[in-house]
Amino acid sequence: MNINQKFITQRDRHGDGSVIPLINVVFLMLIFFMVAGQIQRSDPITIDPPTSINEKRPNLDPDVLIIVGLGNEVYVNDQPVAMDEVESMLSRLFDESSKPDQFWVQIKADGHLNIASLRPLFSAIRRSGLTKVSVATQLGQE
Amino acid sequence: MPLKLEQPRRRQLISLTPLIDVVFILLLFFMLSSSFVAWRTVDTPLAAPSSTPVEASSEQPHAVFELRSNDGFVWFEDQRISLENSRRIRELVSQHLDDLFVLKAHDDVELQTLMRLADQLKLQGADTISIANAFRESKP
Repeated sequence: MNINQKFITQRDRHGDGSVIPLINVVFLMLIFFMVAGQIQRSDPITIDPPTSINEKRPNLDPDVLIIVGLGNEVYVNDQPVAMDEVESMLSRLFDESSKPDQFWVQIKADGHLNIASLRPLFSAIRRSGLTKVSVATQLGQE
Repeated sequence: MPLKLEQPRRRQLISLTPLIDVVFILLLFFMLSSSFVAWRTVDTPLAAPSSTPVEASSEQPHAVFELRSNDGFVWFEDQRISLENSRRIRELVSQHLDDLFVLKAHDDVELQTLMRLADQLKLQGADTISIANAFRESKP
């Protein structure tokens, strides 16, 4: 028992011995977040995407990312845009695109948004002549 | 004269405090910037705009599923079917295997409900589902 206490006092004299378990835990958490998390640009507004069993991942990043929030606010490539300006903006972005063959639009809309508020957006995309459109979902079941 | 023998110096351990500081900063960075949302995409290809509005592809027969509200039921040929009723939906899908499954939705139906129906049809074996049709501005 005495020997044990002697070692403990020796270790504590150096000061850092007691923090080693803390460092172990922190390192484990660090590795977890580094490996499991994905670092990506955050969206201008937080949305709760619809869940789906669909497994398809996009091969390329979308040329245009349209985010529609619960309050019907529309962001095109992180810029707030009024619904009636979406068509002209999409046409302009398509004209400026270097790869018009692969040009595609991704829509991130809140899962609780009703269909009526998405109809004008889809009509605007259709009028601008774009056909490759995808809706972003989250993997999982409701 | 007393002899002073130099005591062997104990090896000085490097202080761990700066290491912990840096590790904590890294941990905070990764915790705040990591995203765990598994994003997927559902393709909703749109028909090219034409001057005369025609119903999408007249060649392939359609099996029209209509969502009228978010109550968990879908209407098919005036039958009300629960979205949870996998057996009934599988029967319908197997009867119309070669058809295009067209989804329609009333105004107040949520996007999540539409995705649930699309999931259920896909699970029961439907190959070609037209989700984009639900977003057409004409009355469903």
